[in-house]
Amino acid sequence: MADIVARRNERRTGRRTLWLVVPVAALAVAPLLWAVVSSLRPGEEIFRYLSPVSVRTVVPSTVSLDNYRAVLESSFTLALLNSVLVTTVSVALGLAVSSLAAFALAMIPFPGRAALFGVMVVSFLVPFEAIAIPLASTFREADLQNTLVGLILPAIGNGLAIFLLRQFFLGIPTSLSEAARMDGLSWFGIYLRIYLPLSRASMVGAGLILFVFQWQSFLWPLLIAPAPAVRVAPVAIADFAQESGVDYGQMFAAATLTAVVPLLVLLFAQRQFASSLASTGERE
Amino acid sequence: MTQAPPRPRAGRSRNRARLRTLGTAGLFLLPALTGLVFLRLVPSVEAVTSAVTNRLGEFSLTNFTYLFGDPAFLGSLKVTLLFSLVINPFQIAVALFLAVLLTRHIPLVGLWRTLILLPIAIPQTVSAIVWGVLFRPDGPLNGLLGTLGIPAVPWLVSPDTALMSIVILCSWVGVGYWMTFLVAGIHEIPRSLYEASDLDGAGGWKQFVHITLPGIRRPLLFVLVADTVANFLVFAPVRILTQGGPEGSTNLIMNFIFERAYTLADTGSSAAATVVLVSIVIVVVAAQFRLLPGKD
Repeated sequence: MADIVARRNERRTGRRTLWLVVPVAALAVAPLLWAVVSSLRPGEEIFRYLSPVSVRTVVPSTVSLDNYRAVLESSFTLALLNSVLVTTVSVALGLAVSSLAAFALAMIPFPGRAALFGVMVVSFLVPFEAIAIPLASTFREADLQNTLVGLILPAIGNGLAIFLLRQFFLGIPTSLSEAARMDGLSWFGIYLRIYLPLSRASMVGAGLILFVFQWQSFLWPLLIAPAPAVRVAPVAIADFAQESGVDYGQMFAAATLTAVVPLLVLLFAQRQFASSLASTGERE
Repeated sequence: MTQAPPRPRAGRSRNRARLRTLGTAGLFLLPALTGLVFLRLVPSVEAVTSAVTNRLGEFSLTNFTYLFGDPAFLGSLKVTLLFSLVINPFQIAVALFLAVLLTRHIPLVGLWRTLILLPIAIPQTVSAIVWGVLFRPDGPLNGLLGTLGIPAVPWLVSPDTALMSIVILCSWVGVGYWMTFLVAGIHEIPRSLYEASDLDGAGGWKQFVHITLPGIRRPLLFVLVADTVANFLVFAPVRILTQGGPEGSTNLIMNFIFERAYTLADTGSSAAATVVLVSIVIVVVAAQFRLLPGKD
């Protein structure tokens, strides 16, 4: 009985919370929605109805996909595909590298572990922009300019992802790994069979870090991969913006297309976070 | 005499076990270490080297003495510190507040989380361009204010409001991102703790202080450190929208470094400024590690 009352109360405060949450969500989405609407109208209409704000600001008088057609027929499609490919490989390799390192730093006792972790943390404090120039000349000497490998490599060793996963691994009761050691399971077995399955939510979190870093990456592709064949989406969009007489309609269409991929990734990530909640329940 | 005493042999096998552990750890760490050495440390050393040498390649601190006598650099240092003092507490407070709200039983909770997280996924070049239009004096934001009877704000064109505009843009991008890590942290807290405190009649605020905050210590420390670092390094919005102006009011240190390196081709002072920036970041992060309980 008390349970039912408590649950009803919880649901009522939940609905009340909605009054706080929906405006924030609207605030987050409004600029993007406006960009999407702008991508559907002819270029010269974008700035016409900005002030005073009216229905026309958000409802185009004519909806057309001309901007999208133009963008998809341009070299932008290749740039988008390059971005998807480069980001996917970076996330997969980055997760493998970071989780292995995080596991060793959290679980395997060896001398100098704390110092090594310190070096890892400091390594992500060095702004990538600051080292991009010396790094780019090294990459050019290694003949990696204008290659996908050149784009992918810097995104793999990510101190933030290692930091996050180590924090999570430390939270797993050591009795688990001690018992497994007693049973003769190797460190790699413990990593693969115990820690990885338990850390799905954190892996998704670390994957999100790697994804965002690579998807957002701008200065590095500009330095190392300027050739059209390996151009990535952010650089292509910036090219739109820097052309004389910017076509805002096409730029917003390109921006919208670039946002669709992360939208799908985020939907997937949210589901993982939600199901990790469910599995926490099971564990108890 | 021929029989070896048992103790050293046990010691030797313990040594061997220790060596084996070290080898295993080495294998786990090898890929990450290779990456860190070649992709981070080596170029960092190159940056430090070019900061502390003069044109002839001799050791010299002239880059630094020149830098600290330069009003533009001192100004950018001041702007960066002001920016950090405003944006970090603001972003973390909002992210924490939203994380608490979005771990309650509300309808379509995943949808709201995703919508709030969405801006981080947009390439910063795009965000900057969209907000550049929103911030225009004749743009939609002022149009909206006008409809509400509020006088127009000069946003990016006045030195009094430009930095605030950058804070708004960066918070729009980042808050949902930091919120996500805190949401995951709150999910790791056993429900039974809340249920027990419900029975004790503890209110929402008490639950927050005594259960939620201690429960998310680790993710909170992570967010504190990572957000601070990220905000010291803000670059793209400034580069695209203000180039540090008006009157240097948004000249964040990364913009200063970029300008020295690319516009003025002054590698020495841009490398020196980078060394100063990284030192500040390390000091601040070390302080955060010490101040927060439960470091490990």
